[in-house]
Amino acid sequence: MVPAVLEFRGVLKSFQTVNAVDGVGFSILSSEIFTLLGPSGCGKTTTLRLAAGLEEPDGGEILINGITVAAPERGLFVPPEKRRLGMVFQSYAIWPHLTVFENVAFPLRVRRESNAVIRQRVSQTLESVGLDGLAERGATQLSGGQQQRVALARSLVYQPALLLLDEPLSNLDAKLREQMRFELRALQRKLNLTVLYVTHDQTEAMTLSDRIAVVNRGRFEQVGPPEEVYEKPATAFVSDFLGRTIVLEGTLNKTDGGQWVELTHGARLAIDSAQLDSLRDGAAVRLSARPENIEILPAAALGKNQIDGVVEQVDYLGDRFEYHVRTAGALLVLSAPKRDRYGSGAKIRLSFEPSCLSVHPR
Amino acid sequence: MSTRSTPVEVSGFRFRLRPHRAAELSMLLFFAVAMGLPLLFLVAGSFNLSPPGKAAVYGMGNWLRAFSDNATIEALWMSFLLSAVRLVPAMAIAVLFAWLIARTDMPGGNAIEFFCWLAFFIPDFPLTLAWILLLDPNYGFLNMLARHLPFVDGPLFNPYSFWGIVWVHTSAGGIWFKVILLTPVFRRLGASLEEAARVAGADTLAMLRRVTLPLLAPMILAVAVLSFIRGLQSFNTELLLGTPAGIYVYSTRIYDYIRREPASYGEATALGSIFIVILALMLFFYWRFLSGKRKFTVVTGQGYSIARVKLGKWRSLAFAGCVFYMAVMTVLPLVFLIIGSFMRRYGFFDISSPFTLAHWQNLLSDPIFLVALKNSLIIATITTAGGILLYSAVAYLLVSRRSIAGPALEGLCWLPHVLPGILLGLGILWLFLATPLRFFFYGTVWGIAFALMLSDSPVTTQAFRAGFLQLGSDLEEAARVTGASWWYTYRRILLPLLAPIAGAVGLMNFGGALTSISTPVLLYSHQSRPLAILLLEYSVTGELERGAALGLLITAIICLMMLAGRKLGLRLSGLQ
Repeated sequence: MVPAVLEFRGVLKSFQTVNAVDGVGFSILSSEIFTLLGPSGCGKTTTLRLAAGLEEPDGGEILINGITVAAPERGLFVPPEKRRLGMVFQSYAIWPHLTVFENVAFPLRVRRESNAVIRQRVSQTLESVGLDGLAERGATQLSGGQQQRVALARSLVYQPALLLLDEPLSNLDAKLREQMRFELRALQRKLNLTVLYVTHDQTEAMTLSDRIAVVNRGRFEQVGPPEEVYEKPATAFVSDFLGRTIVLEGTLNKTDGGQWVELTHGARLAIDSAQLDSLRDGAAVRLSARPENIEILPAAALGKNQIDGVVEQVDYLGDRFEYHVRTAGALLVLSAPKRDRYGSGAKIRLSFEPSCLSVHPR
Repeated sequence: MSTRSTPVEVSGFRFRLRPHRAAELSMLLFFAVAMGLPLLFLVAGSFNLSPPGKAAVYGMGNWLRAFSDNATIEALWMSFLLSAVRLVPAMAIAVLFAWLIARTDMPGGNAIEFFCWLAFFIPDFPLTLAWILLLDPNYGFLNMLARHLPFVDGPLFNPYSFWGIVWVHTSAGGIWFKVILLTPVFRRLGASLEEAARVAGADTLAMLRRVTLPLLAPMILAVAVLSFIRGLQSFNTELLLGTPAGIYVYSTRIYDYIRREPASYGEATALGSIFIVILALMLFFYWRFLSGKRKFTVVTGQGYSIARVKLGKWRSLAFAGCVFYMAVMTVLPLVFLIIGSFMRRYGFFDISSPFTLAHWQNLLSDPIFLVALKNSLIIATITTAGGILLYSAVAYLLVSRRSIAGPALEGLCWLPHVLPGILLGLGILWLFLATPLRFFFYGTVWGIAFALMLSDSPVTTQAFRAGFLQLGSDLEEAARVTGASWWYTYRRILLPLLAPIAGAVGLMNFGGALTSISTPVLLYSHQSRPLAILLLEYSVTGELERGAALGLLITAIICLMMLAGRKLGLRLSGLQ
């Protein structure tokens, strides 16, 4: 079996009394983008720095391509320069006293490559990130997007085993961010890169990743492909962190005929049976759903899995409307396209797709 | 260019990497030896009745002799009195200058600020010499002028007096240093704080009285207290002006003890020790005071103040006042220093052909001068290069968050900031005399460079520290991840990036090494005599004209260096 490019086994790291990384274990496979997603201060950057060797773990084991690079119990620690990883810093960390060419050539000069090799590899790498022609530019004369490309080229030029990206897009403006996201994905496919990506931006994580780990307080809440993490959040934190969530409370009702949740005021919603094995009949549960998966229908339209509601407030957001809907004892905020329009006080019906409802014990 | 799955470059098993810690501990050890030991030897030496190098005999004799002598107490008292009295005009003038430059619409503020910066570098010894040429009771030019006034019979001015010392200090670098320190403080006081006072209905005076000054008071007080403590280090002016009049401060008294035949090492170390105790007490309270006031110093607000106080009809008067002060206190003495260096016999304008180039010719062809010049250049080069290497490393350790011995290291680094040069010299003299270090260091240029390097530690370390903090850790870590070792990163990334700071502190330290007298005065020998000491010798042997020439030469070298540094865009980042 091919070993994972990067593997964490029960890694611990604490600063003073806080466990920044609290017994984390995961593996990154070759050619995948693995994303650590979480709020600031959750330990995702520390995890990345542990992989890079910029922090020493307090416990556990870190392996790169099956070789242990950190194991504090055995007194083993390989410093960053011996790990052959590439890293793009949030600040890009472009050395201001060197030109673009010398910035990118630095890792090769460290390795005492010949000048011919350096010239060839640097120009090849600069071309692949779209910076050809800027080689002699001073590093400080570049725009944010160009600096980012230099940082990327610098971390790719020596063909690292793993590319570490620490919030690489967060200092770019919205439009450029979108473009770089696209290019980054294309580059990763083209060069077959293995990437550990850290971000707090949900959209970035969703569009770039093969797998996402949602990090909270130094622990992994859920690891899985973007769609799974978003549609089937394993914990309340995950569903809350990944975009907006609406929550309804009720009790579970399991019969032979089907499974549904009884809400207040007699309303009920059928749910997928797959996720209910651990919950008993009559258990108090919390139903969560993404607002975009809930359809707003006129009161007259009758269909399956619907509950009644009343519009309390309407906000005009330019490209869409936002409705504050009172239903089943809760106040939900839902978006709807402009073609349907309901006034304040209108009676409506909300339609739920059973597979889009997650059930968690209360 | 794909990510190959070849093994990482593992160099095998390593012990938990600790080169960092090892470096930290060796620095700590170095400072403990270099700064701790001299102090220890100083205190121990004060109880040693036999001269250095002989078998030690311990007793209280030195202390008894030193303090049964009324002169010792008087010297201590005079140190404090002088430092306190001259603080009053110095602070008043410095605050006024800083306020005028930073907060008012006085014309030429930038030019005046630049002049303060330049005046700060004028060494105090040549300046004192210049004032002697102006004020000496026998041949001083101003006294000769005053004789033409009605009702004036004898000399009007006498620099060899308490007030003479105070006067010369009021024209020396210390006052300009205060302006340089205070101007940014005045400038950085948040504009919004003053504007809020204006909006709330205060006029200029009410705003100054109720907002500006109370906010700045802690900072001004902190500068005053520090100036007082540093004022106690003063040596040159007191030696030139005080000794002829029998006015001794503790530092000139120590010098006197050591230069006696036979030298009274015991009394000198006893006096030095008691002064260190007093200094330690003062520092303790100063630190307590500062840490208590920290909440004030952060009230700097945002943005520079654009709105300046309108001086109205006082505008040109304020400017004229500043120019007048600088003309009288700095330009006038320098002009007479130049005249003095060209006069056959200073003060005698009536003799035939009073002007001559002889003093300059004699000076420049004097083999002693040439040796001293060579010594000075060697000493300054060693001091500067060693300081940059050592203190950049110390600063690196201090900002690294993995540091455990940080506070101890920092404390040792700050020690020379308050330790008077003469005491540092005395402690190091003891260290050399009592250990085998004397074979290499005693009386050599290396010994002097060693002492000067120690005295550079606070400012140099602080400047590098600010530089490292500004750089952040990303640039360094980026290099490490791409495969560069620490040493490679230090040479190729950190050092080039810190070159401007290294250049700025290098120039300062080089200039400091050329002009320092109190630190090397107990450590030099005839082979290692530097220029500044030669200047001292010319002055005390009455060769004032040649002294004036040498003083001018040193002043010119320093000013040219600083101007060149400024031209190169070097800023004193550590001081700002």
